[in-house]
Amino acid sequence: MYAPLLANRYLTSRIIPFIAVAAVALCVALVIIVVSVMSGFLEMVRSSGKSLTGDVVVSRPITGIPDYLELVTRIEALPEAAAASPLVETFGLLQMQYGNSDGGKQIEMVEVWGIDPASLDRVAQYRDKLYWCAPSASELSTLAEDDPRRDAFYQRDEAGMSLQTADGKDGVVLGIELSPFNHRERDGSYRTLNPGSRQHDAGYFMPNAGAVTLTLVPVTDGGSLGGEKKRRFSVVNEFQSGLYQIDANRILVPIGVAQEMLRLNEAPIVSREQVDAEGRPLVIGTSPARATTIVVRAEDGVDLLVLREAVRRVYAEFWRERAMDPKRLFETPEPDSVDISTWEERLADFIGPVEKERELMRTLFSIVYLVCAGLVLAIFWAIVQEKTRDIGILRAVGASRTGVLWIFLRYGVLIGIAGSLVGVLLAWIVVSRINDIHEMLGAPAPLWLKSAAGLAVIFSIGMTVRGVRRASALHVVLWSFATIGFLLVGVALLLHQGFLVWDPSVYYFSTIPSKLDLVTAATTMLGGVVFSVVGAAIPAARAADTDPVQSLRYE
Amino acid sequence: MLLAAHHVKKTYELGRVRVPVLHDASLTVREGEWVAIVGSSGSGKSTLLHLLGGLDRADKDSGPISFAGEDLRAFRARRENLYRNRDVGFVFQFYHLLPELTVLENAMLPALVGLSRLRWISERLALRTRAAELLETCGLSHRLNHRPAELSGGERQRVAIARALINKPRVLLADEPTGNLDIHTGGGILDLLAARHAEGLTMVMVTHDAAVAARAQRQVRIVDGRVE
Repeated sequence: MYAPLLANRYLTSRIIPFIAVAAVALCVALVIIVVSVMSGFLEMVRSSGKSLTGDVVVSRPITGIPDYLELVTRIEALPEAAAASPLVETFGLLQMQYGNSDGGKQIEMVEVWGIDPASLDRVAQYRDKLYWCAPSASELSTLAEDDPRRDAFYQRDEAGMSLQTADGKDGVVLGIELSPFNHRERDGSYRTLNPGSRQHDAGYFMPNAGAVTLTLVPVTDGGSLGGEKKRRFSVVNEFQSGLYQIDANRILVPIGVAQEMLRLNEAPIVSREQVDAEGRPLVIGTSPARATTIVVRAEDGVDLLVLREAVRRVYAEFWRERAMDPKRLFETPEPDSVDISTWEERLADFIGPVEKERELMRTLFSIVYLVCAGLVLAIFWAIVQEKTRDIGILRAVGASRTGVLWIFLRYGVLIGIAGSLVGVLLAWIVVSRINDIHEMLGAPAPLWLKSAAGLAVIFSIGMTVRGVRRASALHVVLWSFATIGFLLVGVALLLHQGFLVWDPSVYYFSTIPSKLDLVTAATTMLGGVVFSVVGAAIPAARAADTDPVQSLRYE
Repeated sequence: MLLAAHHVKKTYELGRVRVPVLHDASLTVREGEWVAIVGSSGSGKSTLLHLLGGLDRADKDSGPISFAGEDLRAFRARRENLYRNRDVGFVFQFYHLLPELTVLENAMLPALVGLSRLRWISERLALRTRAAELLETCGLSHRLNHRPAELSGGERQRVAIARALINKPRVLLADEPTGNLDIHTGGGILDLLAARHAEGLTMVMVTHDAAVAARAQRQVRIVDGRVE
């Protein structure tokens, strides 16, 4: 019965258990915060690689896959697939409407995607990636007051979805970072800036008056270049994928336009020997339009490798039917020459370093975790060591070894649980508010905080003087250190003019990941309790094993 | 014989150095007797008391120490704990009270050690009453809820005596119980102990003070680890 009494008294009658709780809490919070933010960041980097693409990608570059609509239909019929969309992927030259600062035209080498907006939306949420759109009710509450998207003039949803201008002409959608006059703000939103005044200027809003000239070079089956095709397009919207490399390098055009410019569109097949009545080569059939890529979205819960194998089977069957046809007029690429892979396999070069970084981070944080564990162990060791004489007294009045051990196990468990819970709470507050904290750090310190630091300095100087008058060395030492501390904080606050650690205009992500990693939280919490218990149990067991008279002599 | 030590040996090992403290020390204590062990500092009197109380272990080649015919060396852990808890009460020179507990809780401690949670629920009130009465006889009824740090040296020793007596032991072992107190306060403590002895309690007391030893029925002198 003495064990709970003593454990509770040890917890409540001295300050050291509170220091131990604080130490455990800070260690637990430190590990959870850092791991949560880093994991969130790496996950964001990783998943952004998937932006605007499907779970499984069928790819036959340059010459493409004929009869692709039939293939899309067959893939969509798979139970593993939710949707599929054809693309034409190529590279081209983009000439911007506005000049560079040196007066020359801006010309960019770009990745060109010919897309079917409706099916791409089903596969890769294309509509959500369009930037100049009417914000939803929830988005509206988070948009800055001066965000142009609040204005109907800037809301170009339908043009983006149809890839057509108001008068029905073909339009293009640019990556938001392609235009030099889209300026990314600290909150991750964009303003269209006048290059001269650097002020917001609707005249430089690309979907309003922007036009670009796109040059594509078709490649023949034999691998030689055809004559380049050049066309001028109005910009109907811009998209933001979440990945800078995409947003600064890609433009989207209607799939029909891309096919036509690359000579992948439907075309007649003519005989080399026969001629028609007018002496022209005789048309003996039609070569169907081609797509270089088909992106596929998996049904929820379907393993991507399972979907990949299913798509491979579909393509093999699709090819076999055509290859077996003796009257075929065009060739369908053999399965071996068509790449069918998951998005992770396709982006292995991108994901590989991210994964390595994650492993490195895990290794580094297991060291941090061990350091925290050592700290907790050391604190408990010191606490229990200090109680060695008490253990001797308890043993002298007949307490058993297990009874003594139980007191300190209880003590360790209670401090471990309290510290871990406080730590998780602290971590949750910091992680969920990390963007606010970051914003606060980004602004100069408010006047009230500077004033509070000033008052704290004055108060601690007063307490130091009081300590001198009372001839209390402890008071003088403690309050002198407090004065120096508050003074340093005050000077730091005066000098602090705002410092953004995570500048979205540099790092591209507009917000810091703010999701608590539950597995880490649970593991760290458990670790906090275990290390508290181990830290308390080892010295307690040592003391309990010693003869009482030895423990009583302990100084 | 209630308590007996025959040819007891004890050697301390201080690092690589072996320091023999007791050589063939023998002592017998009858039921109801008050024995004072006297000797100069370092003679081994406290060591003998600790061995008698089961707080320390004699050398392997030592003779037996017995309590009511039972050899302490044969005690298993459970019996050894019970011996310290019920059969003997210990009073130390430096009181050794638990600073986090109140006077009343310190006095109750040995009784709490022997109680399960269930028995605590049923015997709590009776135990509190017994401890309070015991403290009252020690002149501490007004200090029940104080902490040891708030008491004088004499008061602390009275709490230690109450703690030693709470389980009604058959033997009280006191190691320099007045060694840290002034003559007046020490005299009061001795009066308290004498009153308990008068009620039939067997006592073995270590002291280097001849005046204190004179209060006992019998004095045993230890010189260089041997009982003379």
